Formats: sequence, structure tokens, C-alpha cells
Amino acid sequence: MSGRLWTEPELRRICERALRATSGDQAEAVVLARTTELTRFANNVIHQNVASREASLQVRVVVGKRVGMVRTHDLSEDGIIRAAKGASEVARAVPENPVFGGLPAARPIAPAPSAYVERTAEATPLDRAKRVESLLRRSRERNLTAAGYLSTASGELAIASTQGVWAYSPSTLAAVEAVVMGQAGSAWTERNATDLARIDIDAVATDAIEKCVAAQGPRDLAPGTYEVVLEAYAVNDIAQFLGGSLTGQAVEEGHSFVGGKLGQKVTGDVTLVDDPFDPASLPLPFDFEGQPSQKVTLIEGGVAKAVVYDSQTAFRAGEANTGHALPPNPFAAAAPQHLRIEPGAKTREQLIRDVERGVLVTRFHYTRWVHQLRTIVTGMTRDGTFLIEKGEIAHPVKNFRFTQSYHEALGGTLGIGKDLHLFAAGEFSFGARRVPAMRLGAFTFTGSTQY
Amino acid sequence: MEDRALAHRALDTARTRGASYADVRFVRRQVEDATVKNGHLDTIDRGDTFGFGVRVIAEGAWGFAASQVVTGDEVDRVAALAVEIARASAIAKRSDVVLAPITPQRGTYRTKIQIDPFAPSLEDRVGLLVAADAAMRTVRGLRTTRATYEIWREDKLFLSSEGSDLEQTIFETGCGISAEAVGDGELQIRSYPAAGGRTQNQAGWEFVQKWDLVANAPRIAEQAVALLTAKPCPQDVRTTVVIGDAQLMLQVHESCGHPIELDRALGTEAAFAGTSFLTTDRLGSFRYGSEKVNMRIDSTSPGGLGTFGWDDEGVPASEGWAVKDGMFVGYLMSRETAAALGKTSNGTMRADGWARLPLIRMTNVSLMPGGAGTLEDLIADTDDGIYMETNRSWSIDDRRLNFQFGTQIAWEIEGGKLGAMLRNPTYTGITPEFWGSCDAVCSESEWKMWGTPNCGKGQPGQVGHTGHGAAPARFRDVRVGVVK
Repeated sequence: MSGRLWTEPELRRICERALRATSGDQAEAVVLARTTELTRFANNVIHQNVASREASLQVRVVVGKRVGMVRTHDLSEDGIIRAAKGASEVARAVPENPVFGGLPAARPIAPAPSAYVERTAEATPLDRAKRVESLLRRSRERNLTAAGYLSTASGELAIASTQGVWAYSPSTLAAVEAVVMGQAGSAWTERNATDLARIDIDAVATDAIEKCVAAQGPRDLAPGTYEVVLEAYAVNDIAQFLGGSLTGQAVEEGHSFVGGKLGQKVTGDVTLVDDPFDPASLPLPFDFEGQPSQKVTLIEGGVAKAVVYDSQTAFRAGEANTGHALPPNPFAAAAPQHLRIEPGAKTREQLIRDVERGVLVTRFHYTRWVHQLRTIVTGMTRDGTFLIEKGEIAHPVKNFRFTQSYHEALGGTLGIGKDLHLFAAGEFSFGARRVPAMRLGAFTFTGSTQY
Repeated sequence: MEDRALAHRALDTARTRGASYADVRFVRRQVEDATVKNGHLDTIDRGDTFGFGVRVIAEGAWGFAASQVVTGDEVDRVAALAVEIARASAIAKRSDVVLAPITPQRGTYRTKIQIDPFAPSLEDRVGLLVAADAAMRTVRGLRTTRATYEIWREDKLFLSSEGSDLEQTIFETGCGISAEAVGDGELQIRSYPAAGGRTQNQAGWEFVQKWDLVANAPRIAEQAVALLTAKPCPQDVRTTVVIGDAQLMLQVHESCGHPIELDRALGTEAAFAGTSFLTTDRLGSFRYGSEKVNMRIDSTSPGGLGTFGWDDEGVPASEGWAVKDGMFVGYLMSRETAAALGKTSNGTMRADGWARLPLIRMTNVSLMPGGAGTLEDLIADTDDGIYMETNRSWSIDDRRLNFQFGTQIAWEIEGGKLGAMLRNPTYTGITPEFWGSCDAVCSESEWKMWGTPNCGKGQPGQVGHTGHGAAPARFRDVRVGVVK
């Protein structure tokens, strides 16, 4: 089936129709259309297999300093007009927001590499099922159990405003996640790409199966502070949490570990950038206000350099808008959506070889802030945790709970992998992170579980 | 063409294409969220969504497809696609899907409310938030204040190829306030009535009035400021902990509600949410907690976010025990998973709107009241320990054993009385050991129905709304204080 729902002219017509139907000083229309097709497996069979097409229109209307917003999935003529009029009515009925800085004016948007691959959008249920079955067959052959999913998604984002903004971008995402389980131990593999053809399902199966076999029979290891090698899956979690604190809003609200510390050392020798133009990521040259996204160096060689803004947080802070708006919501106005930890020079195997005694962590599970200002996070290790002794993987260990300041952990960076792994920021096809494996000098495990 | 006629058409198309079973749901959802932040209306967001999803079994395997284009042609396309997807699923099947039987259901259900939450004027709704926010800001020293509400209406039509035909209308209303203070490397938050921005019930606007946000605003604002200079929670000690009901409901959610999901126990959520330590061989024989611990599964509880007439497989609402006198005795089940145990479904399949597949979700999973009296009575009965209130942080492993929670605030308990305020409190443990250490649960007068409108599960992701009744309870020999 075709995953592409609409076309650029059609989405532009919807946006412009909505804008014409508003009554206010300023207005903005955003259409997010997506097709999600996901084949899910567990116990070595496909047990859930779904497809959905959704498109939503969001209309924001400004009357003086009053702002109203309405969303709808009804993209009929009546539905578009109802949303536009509804947002206009809300904007007239609500109190003023004196710190609202107005909708941003149009600015030139630089071209970015395409994130859309037709064959991903055109993938059929059978295309996905055959790939999944090949992975499941490999799992069954080793008397292991696989669970996970293979998905293909396509999306279109279109933004127009009375301030002259017009922005449109299509994108696709193919993703596979697999946990392979034995009687006592499991392993995890994940791949993301704009092109389904670049997902090597045999390599996914091999990675997960080999690690699963190695993970069988974990032993007890006392919680404590250990040197660690974190696989990219775990590092992705660190990038996500720290990224959430590298925003103007986080600084404004006193949540950010770089608040008042720009220009100061906040981590070890780590460089963290947000690069919406990275061709190996999921490029998107504008944000959810249709503003040009900028590449921003957030941390350079461990020194805090910048945070990102949308129009409103920039207005309140008196800073330039970096083009990182999220869809309007009460929690986070902006976020770095294309994070990259710059690579080092070592392979994953070299990182492990450099460790005299430490722990190899495949990934984290159920991580949550304990104290955002200090970047303290708690969570579990999962799907492959190993003791490293004298540069070799000695044996699997039972999973740990950790309670650790993420930026302080990066303060002890001892090595960075040279290979970057791509992670989608969500199930949809906008936003991603690219991160390497890392070796850190000290990571605090505060508890353990029974497996 | 009206929705019911289109629903019949979807079922006909699915059957014609080869489905041995089909159901279709038409769902319309209207939601309005508003947040006042630092004295100003920060966001007001109205949304409506309407569409349908078709679920089929063909060649013994599942397929599901959904669309928001509600026309006859699209219904045909989507029903046919669902069958095509099921046939693709079948290439990796080991056996045919079997559903536990149900009698075809027909009827209607509507949440009982006093005030339609959409009825008060927008000015009045937002005005209440402005007043609550202003009441917090009478306290000096705050960095950020928020006041929020959400009002929700969902209309659902369910038809199945077995003859069920059900209409339901669910109303929900939620509200909350929060105050944050920042200083000297500290960030402290207090919220009311619960954490996470708001608490929510199946209710009308009377729910917002009941919690009286304005009257409670100065108290939580003062506590947020006071926490900046409060004593740190004792580090890495074992002590007695009394936990307030707004925190304990999340403990119930994470450490009982999720592990009694039978899909997790059977491994079908293994890759994402995880599995469960409550494996099927433990049903009826595993000691989950002390004899004081009784947990109920009840989709008929008034106000609970898991209350309905029928679940999204058309199974009637029900009530039963998950944990009785400390023993694990019951799962949350679907028709498919119940059949795997030779049982019938207790009706817990719920979908997040029209575009998602029904999954086993908590309905209302509640810790039932005990006989320890009021919270004041329970504290008076405690010589030494810590009282913790309102969630700040939560995490649990993928089998639901090792957990760690942080709360916004705590107080020392000394000689049966609350003492000094404590900041950054945390507690951690292993689920059956923790519930095994429960020696007192407060009485019915302290029991409240809480709601979690943000439970994530499934791939593609779904947000579930679950209900949890709880009363404060006491736990002995708990590890406290992990954050330095």
C-alpha cells in the first residue's frame, strides 16, 4: 500500500483554507499526516499486526495577546472551517498572555537531505512479515524466544501561517527492535533507517542471538560504583535526558544543569550537537513553527555552549530562536530533536579491552528523573549486562538498578566509540539521535534484581 | 451512511475477504486541556478525533487496520487491509488464535456525571485555573506555578461478527496544581491533589470543584519553598515507612497492576514493557503480600478511569480479586489470553482511540481498605519512621520486581507524631518483599479513587487511563534514601 497520504499541494491547500477561515491578528496551521504499519512478534510468532492512517490539523489563532488552539482529525471542508473558527473563538474568550511574543515571521529554510524513501512507504504487510519470519526462524533454530517489532512509517509535516511561513517535509522510518530470550538471559538489538532496504534483518538476528547466548546464566555482582562500557542503546538514554535539559525553558524554570554555567565545564571530553541536517539522521530543516532549524553545539569538549529555543522561550529570554519548537504543549516548548554525540576513535571491542574491571551495559529500562537539576536518573539495566575483567567479557551478571547523575557520569568519560547508532526519537518519522558506545570511569549501581 | 451501517459494512467486507472473526469500533473523542503557568494562560488546546478500526482473525491470525476517513469505500479498503495483514501474520503462526467464548452483547452505557464538563463557560473553566495559580503565587520564593484541567468525552460504537452491538459514552475530568521552587542547587516541587500535573476520574466538572484547588494552593506553595531548606532524607537506612494514598496508588499501578496483566505473563509484551514475575504457575499459590494486602480488579467502581459497560472486545464489566489476603489469585485477561488458561475473559481489553488495537489494560486495580483507622491514627500508632507523600519519581524492572520511588515530600515520624520535613525522599525494594512487609492499611474513610491518565503500553504506543483506589498504609523495614 502507499504510505504517502497526501501531497504538498494538498496539504498547502488545507493549511491555507484553515488560515482563511480564522479571524484574528495572526494564525498558524499545522498538518501532521502519518501512516504507521507495525508487525509485532512475541513467543516466536506474529501476534499483533497493524496499520493506521492519521492526519491532524492544528490551528492556532492569536488575537492581541490571546491565543487559542484547536486540533482536529476531520480534514473535510467543514472540519477545517470548524477548527479554524473554533480556535478563533477560543482566542477571543481566554485571558491575555502578556509574555506571548507573537507568531514568528517567515525566514528562509535551508535545504536538507531527503528523509523520505518511497520503498519504505510502499512496504506491504507481506514484506514485513517475511523479514520477521526470517528472524523468528533463526531464533527457533537456537531454541530461543524472540519478541519485538518491524515497522514502516511515513509522515508529512506541513506548516503555514499568516506571517508568511510555508514549510513542508515528507519522511519515512523503518525500524526493528528485537529482544531474544533464553531460559536465563536475554539480549537486545535495534536498527532504524529511512530506507527499509538498509535494515539487515540477518545482522539483527545474529547480533541478538549471539549476545543472548552469551547472556545465559547471570551471576550475582554486588551493587556499587563501577567503571562501565555503555552500548549505544544505553548512551541514547543519556543523550535523551540531557537533551531535555538543554533548552531555554529548562534554564528559565531552573531545571537545567547548564543554567548559569554556559562557558563552564559540565562533562568530560564530550561534544554534543543538535544537527537537523545530518544526512545519516532523519533530517528536518524546520521546526513545528516552520522556523529554520539551526545546527547548535550544545556541549563542546565538555564545555556547555548553548541551549535551544522556540519562538516563545527565545522571546522571553531575549535570545535568538534556534528553530527547535515542538508542537504546542504545556510541558516542553522546544527540544533538540537531532542530537549527536560526536564519535571517538575506538571500536566497541577496544573500549571493552581498555577496562581492567567493570560492567558492560546493553541498555537501560524504565529510566526516570529523580532530580532533574542534578540530572539524577534511576533505572534498570536490561537485556545483557556483563562483568568485564582484564579487558574481556567475563560472564553475565544480574541486572542492576542505578541511581546516577548523567552529566556527572559523562564527567568521567574515558573513551568514545567511533561508530554512531541511529535511534528514532519516537515511533513517528521526525526526530532522531545518533550516539556511540562510551566508556565511563564511574557509574553507580544502587541495587539489583533477581535475574 | 450512518456509523452503524458502516460498521456492518466493515464486518461484511471482512467476512467476504475471509475473516473468521471481525470486530469494528467507531470512536469519537473530544478533549480540552488548559494550563495556566506563572499567572498566564500558557496553552489551551481543544481536540476532536473520529475514526474507526477493524480487527480480524483470518487464517487463524490477527490483523488490524484503522482510518479517519469515514466513508463506505474507505471502510471496504480498511476491512480488506485488515484481512490482508492477518494473512501476512499467518506465515509466522504456530497455531490458530482461539478466543474464549462470550454471549453476544447489546446495550448502552454512559458515565454518571453531575455537571457536563464542557457545560461551564470557557471563561469559568480557565478562571478557576487563574485563581488557583494566583493563590499559589501569594507565596514568595516560587519559580514556576502551573494549574491545569483536562475534560474528555469519548463515544464508542462496537460491533462484532458474533452479534455484539454496543454504544458507550465516557466522560472524564482531571485537574491539578503544582508549585516549584529553585535555590542553592535544589529544585523542589509540590503538587495537588496528585503528581503528574493532574489527577483524573470518570466524572463531570464537579470533580474539579471537589478538590478545591484555590484553597489548597497556598499550602502546597509554602511546602515547595520550605523543601529547599528541609533536612535531607536519611541516607540508605532501613526503617518503617507510611505511604500516603496518592503515592500508594502508583505503587499499586506499577507493582500489582502491571504484573497481573496476563499478556505480560504470557510473554507478548516482552520486548517493550516486559514480562511478569507473576507467572501462570504462581496463580493461586504465590504469596504476593501480607494478609493485610487485598487488591481488587473492578471495572464497575464509580469514578474509576477503568470503569465502563463493556471492554473493547465487548466483554461486560466485572469485579474480582487480584490479591486476596496476600495471595495472588487473579489476572487481567483478554478473550485470547483467558482461553490460554482455560478461563473466560474478565473484560480488560482497551484501546487508545480508533487507531489502536485493544490491549490488556488495567481497569481499576485497587488496594482495598484495611482497619487501621485514619492516617492520623496510623501515624499515632507508629513509633519511628518516615511518612512519604505524592510521587516525584518512579521506576521498576521489566518483571516488576525491583522498584524505586521518590516522593515530593516526607516527614519524620517520632513517637507517633509527624516531625521534621524531609526533602528528596526515596524508597526501594522488591515487590513481594515490600508488600509482605505491609502491616497496616487505613480504613475506608481514607480510601480514594485515584486516576492515572498516562499509562504507556504497546507498540505502536498507547496511552491508557487506569483507576486505582488506595488508602495510606504502613510498611516495615523498607530501604530508604538512595539520593545523596
